[in-house]
Amino acid sequence: MEVAPDPPAPIEAGVVIRGLRKLYGDTVALDSLDIDARPGEILGVAGANGAGKSTMIKILAGEVEATSGSITIDGEPWSPSFGADRVAVVHQEPQLFPNLTVAENICVGREGTRFVRRGSTEAERAVMADLAILDVADRMLEHVPLAIQQRTEIARALVRDARVFLFDEPNSALTSDESDDLFRRIHALAQRGRVVMLVSHRLAELVAHADRVAVITDGRCTTVLQGRTLTQEAIARELVVGQAKHETVAPARAEVDGKTVLELTGWSHQGDEFREVDLRVQVGEIVAVVGVEGSGARELVRSIAGFEKGAGAVVVDDRQGVEVLRAKSGFVAAERSTSLFPNLSVGDNIVVRLDGEITGRFGALRRGRMARLGAQIRERFGVKARSIGHPIRSLSGGNQQKVAIAAAMVGRPLILVLEEPSRGVDIGSKAEIYRLLREYAREGHAIVMYCTETTEVFDVADRVHVLSDGRLSDQLLVMTYADVGSLAADVSALERHTQRQPSAAASTRATA
Amino acid sequence: MTTETPNFPPAPSRISLTGSGLLRVGGLLATVVVVMAAFGFLSGGSFLGINNQLGILRNVSTVAIVGLGLTLVIVVGEIDLSFASLYGLCASVIAVSWIIWGFPVWAAILLAFAVAIFWGAFNAFFTTVVHIPSFIATLGSGTLIFGFTLFITATATFNPTYPPGGRSVDPDQLAFFTGLANQDLPFRFPMQGVWLIVIAAIFFFLLGRSLFGFRLKAIGGNPEAARLARLPVRKYKFAAFILAAVMACTAAMLDFSFIGSTQPNGGQSLLFPTFAAVIIGGASLAGGRGTVLGTITGALLLSILVNGLALLAAGPFAQQMLVGTVTIGAVVLDRFTQQRRGLL
Repeated sequence: MEVAPDPPAPIEAGVVIRGLRKLYGDTVALDSLDIDARPGEILGVAGANGAGKSTMIKILAGEVEATSGSITIDGEPWSPSFGADRVAVVHQEPQLFPNLTVAENICVGREGTRFVRRGSTEAERAVMADLAILDVADRMLEHVPLAIQQRTEIARALVRDARVFLFDEPNSALTSDESDDLFRRIHALAQRGRVVMLVSHRLAELVAHADRVAVITDGRCTTVLQGRTLTQEAIARELVVGQAKHETVAPARAEVDGKTVLELTGWSHQGDEFREVDLRVQVGEIVAVVGVEGSGARELVRSIAGFEKGAGAVVVDDRQGVEVLRAKSGFVAAERSTSLFPNLSVGDNIVVRLDGEITGRFGALRRGRMARLGAQIRERFGVKARSIGHPIRSLSGGNQQKVAIAAAMVGRPLILVLEEPSRGVDIGSKAEIYRLLREYAREGHAIVMYCTETTEVFDVADRVHVLSDGRLSDQLLVMTYADVGSLAADVSALERHTQRQPSAAASTRATA
Repeated sequence: MTTETPNFPPAPSRISLTGSGLLRVGGLLATVVVVMAAFGFLSGGSFLGINNQLGILRNVSTVAIVGLGLTLVIVVGEIDLSFASLYGLCASVIAVSWIIWGFPVWAAILLAFAVAIFWGAFNAFFTTVVHIPSFIATLGSGTLIFGFTLFITATATFNPTYPPGGRSVDPDQLAFFTGLANQDLPFRFPMQGVWLIVIAAIFFFLLGRSLFGFRLKAIGGNPEAARLARLPVRKYKFAAFILAAVMACTAAMLDFSFIGSTQPNGGQSLLFPTFAAVIIGGASLAGGRGTVLGTITGALLLSILVNGLALLAAGPFAQQMLVGTVTIGAVVLDRFTQQRRGLL
């Protein structure tokens, strides 16, 4: 009997993902994903939160296994158990060994390194020199700036001869100089024929750096934009396809003549991150403080919630003193890992900051009341959860963020202090979060928030100050700007005004 | 008092996490029943005799009472390794101050509780103020406490019925103290069982039905988020450590009352069974999870295994092997069910 040989599969250079499917219980994280990434180009990947982007990254990083579907690299079937080194994922927070040196991080776990080696091989040194990290090769990883940690991660992948480089929001914590440098290196990787994928929430960057952008919606790749069709607006449109329309957020106001609820005069940080800040915040307004990591902006905003120590004159709601700050403010941290309680349900997370409202005699919990409050707030905040009794981790990132902000709002603090309230959140949730913040301000409260993205400032703030080199700039009135571009230009002008210290910036993060 | 407004949406009928907790304890209870049935069959019925069952109830109470205190510490995300030594110290403080120093028995008991509160606060201080991991802090304080016990007892054992030469104990006080845990109740129900029921009821309210327990779980689940949400983290950790110490003291007092004597190394053998009971009961060493019913059922399962194997004369090795297996098995099962529920 003669069997005709299978026709040779057409060799496809690069990464070919076909019909990739991933189920978590009943939840379809990836439906049937088809994506092609060719060598020599940068493929951008965009998708709203919960669209399946992070599942795709996890599969390529070998963290989870796909339910079905195939991935081939240069025509060969690929799975993480064989050739995990073929794919390198560079995360926003490098996943390396903080207690080893840069050089050790690069050689650890390589084939043939059964014994601790003294020094690096020639090839490793060449890669390090190429990435300009040779000078810091003997420094402990936790003591080098984030940008260098990321370059270490790239170097680690290069010495393993990785074929595919997947960058996952790589620059969200970098200064703009560091970020420019990173993109230069990403382009260099592509030029040398590697397959490069760039996952980002920042549409402008996708347009600027990617050759093509694949948009993932509901676990499928719905479209690939390239050439003339590749514009920020086009991506934004594709991302919200199928999502409910949200009413437009109330416009920023130029003048707010509410009562002054917070007045800082000559306010300086104990760790010298900011100096001699004068700031006045009124009822009904949303004030943004912008600054890169390490500029002191984060510390200034945290000091308003009483979580960083400052000295100077403070008047809160006509009362003097730092103690009043703690009593009158509520705080929501940027990372959901420090704003939510993973062991509690959605409803319990919402009411966790309350006390008198949810207790009866002898400190007994009023479970029924907690459930009603939780359900009411879930309704009002549009939190998409099957029930408030479900674990908080069953929600998407955007909905988790809504819960985190809601939890701070239910206590109705006079001053609500937030860090990057819409970081890592899909566009639909962003609009809703902005609407809630506006409402809260309008109901007689004041909001101070730390932002790194001008879009966020433009969408929700009334005024913005830039903190640069420890000094607070004069205010910019958001309403006087017709588009986000001109506001961004003015903000970055204020940032560039003084010298930046990127290395100090990143090392603060690294030790935090 | 109620300020409900009509536009509240209807309350959901069931909080599912509570449901899963019940499921966990329910599974454990089913295991207890199966194990009891097995022992009853193997022992030809003598295991299920009323005398033996009452004996088990008495035995379970020491581990359960100490375990309830430990549960609070574990729920808040810390560890206490000192309670076993503290048990020995508290019994010895009562014995020495009462029999040797001539304190009235009630003063001796109060002194023991004051000592317990001090050591609980000591553990909490080094954990929350000095920021030493509680594992180290309580490992150290446990050894320190054991040293104090050896010091004040001069490594002697005490029995108030037969006080050492030249000392005497007031018979009324002796009767009162013995009566704490050694009393004739209807149906020969052990007095320690009554104590356990009362304490369990208080803890059930505290951990499961009060703001204290709710916040304890929140703090244990994410201490940093709790700090940023302005929950009183330090205060609650102090409360947890002190309550654990007070429970160790209570158990020591009751056992001393029932057995009638103290030994300087008393309580040292409690460390493992108590941890095992709490862990088998579903508490997570990572913090944020643990129930009163779970801990009591865990203690019950251990007690039944120990008793049943002794009754079958299975030999000391069997007991150790089985208890070790059950401890690991319970945690493995837990991880498995959590994974199935998509919580890990």
